[in-house]
Amino acid sequence: MRSIDIHAHLTPQCFIRAMREGREWHGVKPGEMGIGPRNSWTPEQRIDDMNSLGVDVHVVSTFSFYYYYDRDPQVILPMHRECNDEVYQMTVDYPDRFKGMAIIPMQDVNLAIEELDRCVNGMGFVGAMIDDHVNGKTYDDPEFLPLWKAAEEMGAVMLVHQQGGQTLVRDRNPNYHLHNTIGNLVDRAVTFASFVFGGVMDACPDLRVCLCHGGGYTCYGAGRMDRGWLVRPEAREHISKPPSTYLSKFYYDCLTHSEPALRMLIDTVGIDKVIFGTDWPADMAIDWPVSWILGLESLTQEEKEAILYKNLEQLLGI
Amino acid sequence: MRSIDIHAHVTPQSYISAMKGGQVWHGVQPEPLDIEPQLEWTPEQRIKDMDSLGVDVQVASTGAQFYYYGGDAQAVAAMHRECNDEVHQMTIDHPERFRGLAQIPMQDVDLAIAELDRCVNQLGMVGAMIDDKVNGKTFDEPEFLPLWKAAEQMGAVFLIHQGGGTLVRPRTRSYHLPNTIGNLVDRAVTFASFVMGGVMDACPDLKICLAHGGGYACYGVGRMDRSWDVGRLPQIPQPPSAYLSRFYYDCLTHSESALRMLIDMAGIDKVVFGTDWPFDMQIDWPVSWVLGLESLTQDEKEAILWKNMEKLLGITSD
Repeated sequence: MRSIDIHAHLTPQCFIRAMREGREWHGVKPGEMGIGPRNSWTPEQRIDDMNSLGVDVHVVSTFSFYYYYDRDPQVILPMHRECNDEVYQMTVDYPDRFKGMAIIPMQDVNLAIEELDRCVNGMGFVGAMIDDHVNGKTYDDPEFLPLWKAAEEMGAVMLVHQQGGQTLVRDRNPNYHLHNTIGNLVDRAVTFASFVFGGVMDACPDLRVCLCHGGGYTCYGAGRMDRGWLVRPEAREHISKPPSTYLSKFYYDCLTHSEPALRMLIDTVGIDKVIFGTDWPADMAIDWPVSWILGLESLTQEEKEAILYKNLEQLLGI
Repeated sequence: MRSIDIHAHVTPQSYISAMKGGQVWHGVQPEPLDIEPQLEWTPEQRIKDMDSLGVDVQVASTGAQFYYYGGDAQAVAAMHRECNDEVHQMTIDHPERFRGLAQIPMQDVDLAIAELDRCVNQLGMVGAMIDDKVNGKTFDEPEFLPLWKAAEQMGAVFLIHQGGGTLVRPRTRSYHLPNTIGNLVDRAVTFASFVMGGVMDACPDLKICLAHGGGYACYGVGRMDRSWDVGRLPQIPQPPSAYLSRFYYDCLTHSESALRMLIDMAGIDKVVFGTDWPFDMQIDWPVSWVLGLESLTQDEKEAILWKNMEKLLGITSD
């Protein structure tokens, strides 16, 4: 069975080299950021692991630690360009195994558009991975609209993924890994809501947004958002249909860590909107992800194929 | 069909009179009264509305705006006693129609235990409604353990219900999201705090009802389990999902598919009727809503509407 993973990360070798040599790298000082053992693998070692997992293609995204939206965009743009160039080289060296997902400096929308354009139109990238917010701003902020319009025109996919550790849950309880296990999921629901209630999905009908971690709590919690839309004028400011009608406008990876949750996601958003994503190589990844999908009793064979590769082939034009 | 609503609020008449009379009330300065008109109704008017909705019993809780956990504990304890006495009077005047949930001053655990004891053991109340947090502390804090132990011994039920700002508010205040997403994520963090903090192991008979269907607890538990799988929750002997059936949940999901999933994951004996009367985010015609759900059996509807609550509260119907 073929499989294409939209949620697979990279720690750039250019960063690793600089750290090992004790060099500052685009303002990042040696020792500022740790490197896990699997994160330093070469593309060839990665391919060996993909083979053992049965994953054919990684859509490779530079890790979210490198967003650095809070730093000078003139410093971060060259960092992101270097990251993207490295990902591009992977796709050139192994065109059958890697596709590229860019990292773009969201703190400056013009630069972000420019780098997205370079990556998508110049280097054949799929789109870009972005955080759930930019220095506290959500995506209903009008300043981002030119980016969504540009991405729509390019056919770029925006993969939404939190910056590790920095989610809404941290302020309440910093223990038990909840900033990740609850935080990632609530951040994604707020992002869905910001795109939808903010009118972005109406303004950009062809915008392709993929919500990581199965879209978080979006699908389960849409009923309460609908109720809010029904009774609250501020929730109807920009949209004339209830938010649940927008569920099928998004894509979602299958990273729910729960068969009933995945089943509900499929039933709620449509089987053509759920795609394979594993969070390689994080510890919160799906173990043996292809086997996990193939073993799910509540999914039909057609649904498994749609998730593992058919939907992504269609989305990426492969 | 009989029905008992565990999620129905009261605004104390003593507060309303004080505000209308321009008087200070337990330290609350006179302010323009800004409450739903139904909250000014007398118990008799409330009963008429319950009759029209087909609700037999309300387990009445003084609204979350009266938590005042940030206030002076002695002053708030006196406020809570007055609130509780008023709810108690409703249960004396109309014993067939009202049961009581107490307010307790959580900023002082000893005072909270004393007031819970007075309400449960002297006034015959069911338990207490409490926030998801107390001045930034979650319920895994050891200082709360004596309260859980005392409640367990009394057989008291805690109804968990947010007050003030939820976790979503720092990210966005738009579109009613602090309520429509915030209530649900706050409840998931509370579930996690009780479970991962070891409270449910330390207090095997503690009765906790998570309002708003337990928020995202049920849908999101798979990701919590994953963090247990990879060794991030060494302090609990079972994965978090094993604790789902230790809690009660009201049916306030605003979604049939979400309610169905909740029943399937927590068990039909753990889902109770709760409406959020009389707020705009309540279920409209809640008894009819439950009775009309096509994916629930008649037995399941009866369990939710009254049987589970009778068992939980030790009520015997004639």
